[in-house]
Amino acid sequence: MPYIGELFVSELLKKPVLDKMGEDIGVLTDFILVPGDTFPKISALVVSRRKKVLVIDWEAVKLFNRHIISISIRESDLAPREMSEEEMLLCRDLLDKQIVDIDGAKVVRVNDLKVGEFHGHLCLMAADVGLRGLIRRIGLESQGERLSSFFGYKIPRNLISWNYLQSLKPKLTRLTLNIPRHKLSELHPADIAHILSQIPQKDRAALIDTLDVETAAETLEEMGTSDQASIIEELDAEHASDILEHMAPDEAADVLQDLPTDKANDLLQRMEKEGADEMEELLSHEEDTAGGLMTTEYLSLTKDLTVREAIDQVRLLSPNVETVYYIYILDKDEKLQGVLSLRDLIVSQQDNTLEEIMTHPVKTVRADADEKEVERIISKYRLIALPVVDEEGRLLGIITMDDILYRTLNHTKGKRG
Amino acid sequence: MILLSVLGPGIITANVDNDAGGIATYAIAGAQEGYGLLWALILITFNLAVIQEMAARMGVVTGQGLTDLIRERFGVKVTMVTLLLLIFANLTTTVAEFAGVAAAMELFGVSKYISVPAAALFVWFLVVRWNYKQVERILLIACLIYFTYVASGFMANPPWGEVMKRAVTPSIKFTPGYINLFIALIGTTITPWMQFYLQSAVADKGLSIEEYKYTKIDVYFGVFVTDFVAFFIIVATAATLFAHGIQIETAADAAMALEPLAGEYAKILFAIGLLNASVLGALVLPLSTAYAVTESLGWESGVSRTFKDAPQFMGLYTFFIFIGAAAIMIPGLPLMKIMLFSQTISGILLPVVLILMLKLINDRRIMGEFVNTPGRNIVAWSTAIVLMIATVMLVASPFFQ
Repeated sequence: MPYIGELFVSELLKKPVLDKMGEDIGVLTDFILVPGDTFPKISALVVSRRKKVLVIDWEAVKLFNRHIISISIRESDLAPREMSEEEMLLCRDLLDKQIVDIDGAKVVRVNDLKVGEFHGHLCLMAADVGLRGLIRRIGLESQGERLSSFFGYKIPRNLISWNYLQSLKPKLTRLTLNIPRHKLSELHPADIAHILSQIPQKDRAALIDTLDVETAAETLEEMGTSDQASIIEELDAEHASDILEHMAPDEAADVLQDLPTDKANDLLQRMEKEGADEMEELLSHEEDTAGGLMTTEYLSLTKDLTVREAIDQVRLLSPNVETVYYIYILDKDEKLQGVLSLRDLIVSQQDNTLEEIMTHPVKTVRADADEKEVERIISKYRLIALPVVDEEGRLLGIITMDDILYRTLNHTKGKRG
Repeated sequence: MILLSVLGPGIITANVDNDAGGIATYAIAGAQEGYGLLWALILITFNLAVIQEMAARMGVVTGQGLTDLIRERFGVKVTMVTLLLLIFANLTTTVAEFAGVAAAMELFGVSKYISVPAAALFVWFLVVRWNYKQVERILLIACLIYFTYVASGFMANPPWGEVMKRAVTPSIKFTPGYINLFIALIGTTITPWMQFYLQSAVADKGLSIEEYKYTKIDVYFGVFVTDFVAFFIIVATAATLFAHGIQIETAADAAMALEPLAGEYAKILFAIGLLNASVLGALVLPLSTAYAVTESLGWESGVSRTFKDAPQFMGLYTFFIFIGAAAIMIPGLPLMKIMLFSQTISGILLPVVLILMLKLINDRRIMGEFVNTPGRNIVAWSTAIVLMIATVMLVASPFFQ
């Protein structure tokens, strides 16, 4: 194992490689990577001379530094071969490509790569995503440094260790699989959505694929409808319908509305019966009416319960609903009788029945009311959620304030551009 | 319905192509050579369509901008050279756009010290305050205003029979004036920045390959409309100025000269067209540069971002508009020389861009099954070679005068 220290790939590329006899066999053009402990190992060097490509196992490398690279075998012992798409190549697949900086929660471009010794192997250690890496690539690092120090400015180092990076290419995820570390899925869904907005369309679905269903659903909820739809379209149908089921029904319905009809129907068929029915109900309303805005997940109880029983029920039901701040009181025909806030519930005597403490009549809208009307009622009565009812007063769903707020904000500034 | 949501990038790019410099070139072509260059315009339209289609296809297939692809395929050095040339060419073209604003508003008696800062603020606010969808809509509406030139063309009352005949019969005059105009026509119609802008705008839409057929309509239709407008500009000045032997040097000259020959409205329409084209150019060129630079260097980009989210993107955009507008306000700056130099830089950049594009679009690792077909390659390469010869001549021509 030759002594290596730490080196930048840009300092090594295009360096001549000498064989056992001191013959120049070509120049270094790439490195083959394999999964390692924490850092991907470099298993072989790729050396090219004109069109001929040679692969040299790391074990055969004798000297390896920025001045000289030599190997302990002869050129005649090596057979030229083609590189396949399956292989993971450091330069071809990583250098100059976009990559996710998990710590900074953003997409960056790899300007240079740093390799070094780790547990006795040559490994990929870090990516340089800063200005310094760019300047080094054009071979002007020392000149740049002199120039900038003349102005009293230090070119910042911006190295990100490999364990804080996530590649966008599916085949490269093998390089990071066995690392217990920061993962993309641990970021806030809004941050993941921001990252997705910065990368090419075709990579988005691949990145969503690496997330668990719950995180994927939350991430999609943070994106604009047309982006959501194009991602869902790219995913395989089974996975897509799973994600839709985990999304808030109103958001999921919006996505389905944006998809081609046969694709939407296919996804609906794959959903569980209950979810699919809900979705079809939501889809039957115009997009910018109360019916199109509402979600069908809400807390409802009957008026004969005591406060104590009600609190237990809330505890039980809360994981399945978007908002627990209002509890709607329904009769056996699902007609809306009254409403309670969480606050009412907590401050009331444990033995009171809900009928005694509920507020009625309730402010409601009909499913065909338009967005403006919904906005007006919510802001006038300062509601967190507004129930939507049919002609007979049956509760169909609720519209939460954040959905309205989001739409209003969206009129002035888009989610992304 | 799908068509409407896909529409935009192609039409906008092609229309902005008729910017201040473009209008001046067409107007001068008509005034100097009459209908003699119409056939060339039709040929150029065909070439433009071939190249724009490639840029759009790369945008849809890869979801990335042209500088992204150049960076990933050719590395930092090639990217840096391309970017430097692009920044310089676009910056000087932006200056030309503001010069167009100044000239157009002076026709209405407004001082450039009012019109240029006002236009600069307008385009700056549009991008800094609004999101992409809104900006795109404004741009699409602005494209309609180009039809004022079609109206000017009809007002000039040309002999339509002759116009049509000349448009389809190629004829070359071997005079320095004719050859120079011929090359200038190519240089102003097929520009490097368009390829970068179109590909980024298409990629930004996040279209799937199934929707590509609509993008193609967008691209071809945009190219057609653009040169349809250019056609009428040439016709308008040919029918009036050429017929009376009046020589002009700028687009504003053309508008002034039109007044006694085709009426006051023809002048007003011509001036409105020029103003609109210049403002559009002053918006799109800085925007296109900001996209190209930030994408390839890995910085955040996008019209809907704020200064805080995307400092380099917004900073570059602001810098371009500031320099573009300021250059017009500084008295005594040799604007004509700068424009000429800008044309030269664009001329050097265009062959570079075309070769890079052809290499990228034939790379199976990038384009998969959507690489150029052999037939398309023949058309594209011969287009590129013709353009290269023309641009070499364009770059060299000032030295022989």
